[in-house]
Amino acid sequence: MDSNNFLAAWPVVGPGVAGAVFGAGWWFWVDAVVCSAAAVPFLHYLPGFFASFAALMFNCVNREDIGDGYYSPYDDSEWRVKLWLFISYVVSFVSLAGAVGFLVQDALTDTGPSAWTGTAGVLQCVFVLVSGLIYWTCHSED
Amino acid sequence: MALSRSMRTCLHSARLAFLAILVSGGIVLQILACALYNNWWPMLTVLMYLILPMPLIFFLGSDTSSMMSNGGDGWVNFTKFLTGTSVVGSIAIPSILKHAGVIGWGALSMELSSFVVFGVAILWFLQMSGEDEYSGVF
Repeated sequence: MDSNNFLAAWPVVGPGVAGAVFGAGWWFWVDAVVCSAAAVPFLHYLPGFFASFAALMFNCVNREDIGDGYYSPYDDSEWRVKLWLFISYVVSFVSLAGAVGFLVQDALTDTGPSAWTGTAGVLQCVFVLVSGLIYWTCHSED
Repeated sequence: MALSRSMRTCLHSARLAFLAILVSGGIVLQILACALYNNWWPMLTVLMYLILPMPLIFFLGSDTSSMMSNGGDGWVNFTKFLTGTSVVGSIAIPSILKHAGVIGWGALSMELSSFVVFGVAILWFLQMSGEDEYSGVF
């Protein structure tokens, strides 16, 4: 299996792989909520939603806008793109940290959601963000 | 292998018939998974099956090469994303139902085999339509 073929086929199957990973993340969360004996508080849903929002945010960016192609001294719109990306990075890291925090809390206390809920939350965050990255790599390969 | 014109159309119709058999077999498996156990929860997977062939439905009118070529339209990429999600969803929904104890092993295996049959049918269909582009009618 030569790498040339893989690189050529990536933009064709890439979005599908990204969708599969995204779906896997959210379905882990659905499984945790369905199989949880205790009611999952709304706060625990937030890291997943924010991670999905962050993945959407950094996929809205056209890769060429950040590029070091043609630099014009009169063009000052680059900072907006970078600010947008920065905010999306902050949101994704905070949601990841929140998911890990909920996992620790679930593992330590007996009341409330089980450890599987916390684990599923972390898996959901990671998969959603990874799927956003995968989608980003394929839509900008023109 | 050079086939005569009539042989080629006969083979083509045979392939279409086999495709139809596969799809109806998948539908039968899906319904059996619910009917045999008198538990209609697995029908939720049908939602995922509706989303699965979206790229084919939307882009079959236009040239299918836009799907196979790299990059492509933003919408083509988005429908592929939906297909990926629905593939995982068709595996995930029966698994979640089994994990929650709503269905048993038999229903789970029938659901998964129905998914495999649909997958084979779609791949076969893609291969067929890819061949048609090259051989052509004329």
